[in-house]
Amino acid sequence: MVKKNREVIVIVLILLLLILFRETGKNHFKSDAKKWAESSINKSDIIITEKLGLSDGKNLLINLDKDTSRLKKNNSELLNISPDSILSKKYINSIMKHDGPVLLFSTNPGVSARVWMLLSQMGRKKLYILSDKADDEVPKYKFKPDSVPDKNL
Amino acid sequence: MNTRQKFSAGLLIIGFILALLPLSGSRSFTVRPQKLLGEVLDSNTWFTVDQVARFIVTEDSSVQIIDLRTPEEFKTVNIPGSINLPYNKFLDIDPARLLSNGKTKNIFYSNGDFDSNFALAIARGLNLKNTFVMKGGLNEWFNTVMNSTFTGERISARENALFETRTRAKKMFSEMNSMPDSLKLKFIQSTHLAAKKLDGGCE
Repeated sequence: MVKKNREVIVIVLILLLLILFRETGKNHFKSDAKKWAESSINKSDIIITEKLGLSDGKNLLINLDKDTSRLKKNNSELLNISPDSILSKKYINSIMKHDGPVLLFSTNPGVSARVWMLLSQMGRKKLYILSDKADDEVPKYKFKPDSVPDKNL
Repeated sequence: MNTRQKFSAGLLIIGFILALLPLSGSRSFTVRPQKLLGEVLDSNTWFTVDQVARFIVTEDSSVQIIDLRTPEEFKTVNIPGSINLPYNKFLDIDPARLLSNGKTKNIFYSNGDFDSNFALAIARGLNLKNTFVMKGGLNEWFNTVMNSTFTGERISARENALFETRTRAKKMFSEMNSMPDSLKLKFIQSTHLAAKKLDGGCE
């Protein structure tokens, strides 16, 4: 029986290997970038620093800054991690395996946004950015069209 | 070749094709996480508003400024020469179609820092090089460029150059955004045409 269908079995094995190769060659990212980026569009991934005290203490708080003094007064588990070592085995395992929410904090919102996108595309759910400003993307300017500068300038 | 062999050959060909095709119509990050982390933390991916002001004043054709705000916000006010690609539509279309030109620096801006940096991480993850962010967004642009004043008595050459660039950028910004909508559109189209002419040499 095996001898009779040898060619078919070989073909099926090759196909199986191709599928395995494809599945493992995805660089550890989930397949749909849009799906994993969705909460960044409606900003449901941003938590204000003032509300941190209201949390139930199951949070894993990751401070991406050198200054560690900002985030001491709360009941979350705190990890001080330099952004460039966040993917080291020591840290990434605790981040990916943590049951509760993971909160990223940096005084530079750009850094937390970039790290958020990276971890979220790797499949980390319940991932949030802790920010001082709720209204970062709200326009704080008002342009007056008639306020054209002096032409002599 | 008997039927079984033909069937096996057919399966093999289909298998190869399926293995090379994307799994679905959706996109996924192609850059390895460690490499992507290095790229997104590179300090060279940030431009200050002063650097962007200089690109505008010098009409640098190697720069494409991308406004990630809503179309309504873009219509009200925008940085001269920028194009609108709302962040909520960023992954609906294929960003590679707009950002794939390897020679052009694509500089994202939004009102603040979040949307532009999310977009940068996505673009870099999709292996779209030459993507950058204007730090602080349009809020910072107004703080630094539009509200730029000099009150001292003496000014160094460097400060003077900076102040002059800001003043010229402010003037261009105000003139462009004070135009009626129809003229603004024509102005944007004319600058694109001028860039094309420059790229193509003489007609």
